[in-house]
Amino acid sequence: MIRFDDSHIEALLEAEAKAELKVYTFGRFNLALNGQQISDNWGRDKAIQLFQFFLISRNRSALHKEQIMDRLWEGTATDQNFKVALHGINKVLEPDKKARGNSKFMQRQGSSYKLNMEYVWLDSQAMESFLEIGNNSVKEQPELALIAYQYAVNLYKGVFLPNRIYEDWTSTEREKLQMLALNAYISLAELELKEQPNESIRLTEEALIIDPTWEEAYRIQMMAHMINGNRPQAIKTFNKCRDTLKQEFGIEPLPDTLQLLQRIQTA
Amino acid sequence: MSKQDQTSSFLLRFTQKMFEDEKGEANVQWRGKITHVQGNEHKNFSELKDAIDFIQEKLSTLTLSSIESDVSEEEKEGILTKSMEIWKRLAKSYPKMMVQAIKDPKAQVAQFQEQLTSKAGEISDRLQLESYRPTNKSDLKELSDQVLQLTDIIGKLKKKVDKIDKKIGKS
Repeated sequence: MIRFDDSHIEALLEAEAKAELKVYTFGRFNLALNGQQISDNWGRDKAIQLFQFFLISRNRSALHKEQIMDRLWEGTATDQNFKVALHGINKVLEPDKKARGNSKFMQRQGSSYKLNMEYVWLDSQAMESFLEIGNNSVKEQPELALIAYQYAVNLYKGVFLPNRIYEDWTSTEREKLQMLALNAYISLAELELKEQPNESIRLTEEALIIDPTWEEAYRIQMMAHMINGNRPQAIKTFNKCRDTLKQEFGIEPLPDTLQLLQRIQTA
Repeated sequence: MSKQDQTSSFLLRFTQKMFEDEKGEANVQWRGKITHVQGNEHKNFSELKDAIDFIQEKLSTLTLSSIESDVSEEEKEGILTKSMEIWKRLAKSYPKMMVQAIKDPKAQVAQFQEQLTSKAGEISDRLQLESYRPTNKSDLKELSDQVLQLTDIIGKLKKKVDKIDKKIGKS
């Protein structure tokens, strides 16, 4: 296991500061090229979709254009459609590039393509990196984990590519990132519990926005209310948890939650 | 793309909860969430049947929406029945173990342990691997999985050999 320290966090922050192209996918899709926001130079929506598809496939080897067309156009595309969309990306990212010149961002190997991430900073990728530091240092270096989790939750501004929620090529990535964000909120809420119970309550509320049935979030929130000396609110949180689980799953809370309620009632 | 080629994608999430019950016995519970991607609708479930019903409902809607408006009610019903028959066949082939795990995790775990013990017994008897007797459940499972994989491979090999045997017999 890698032993992380402050330098890893600094390296991530530096990578963001230095990146030529910054891509924001949480809450709203946005790009900044050399510090300038790119808003509506894309022309066709398919060019944006193709770029987003390359972002999602960044950890895979270069994809053949047929594979890409199959996923994005569902078998209805022609080579021309692909070329137009690719040209759309190049026009936005490298407007001064000559027609047959090499692209800095798009790597081509024959008929296969890949996004060159060397010059790109991606918010979701950065969140994963901060989480990795947090998860690996939470036991032995909780102070470092706390900072890493804070950076991670600050990056999560909402659902991944919200305007693509109906597209199945985005759903796996969205689900993965939602679970990671949930993990970040819960881990940070636990770390903040004793010193900052109100912050812990806020974080668990954020977690419950992602998944209103996440029982652990209710438990942390109940404890935070008790630390604040607010027993009625702790019981109210339990009731909300019990009602939600009943309604959504038809089940009772776990014994851990019931025991916590008992402790709250007898405290 | 023609209307007949419409796609419905479903995303399944399972969360496992391990806990001790009132008697202090270890227990496991599964909580699931199924999302229909194209409709951005979801359903939480603790019984797999509810997830299957959810898929069935979405597929029926998809089939109905794909049928041309000038098709008679009778034809519509026929197409829908055929579509649902295909889905039911698919749903039935879901691994029984998974359904059982969600319905009755404790019984399923007991059954699984029994199978593992029996497999481990077979291994010891047949191969006399006394010195390699697994020390814990995790080792036992790994060993059992490997034996199952081997059994599967042997089954496939046997089929191939039988085919070759038949061919040789014919010639």
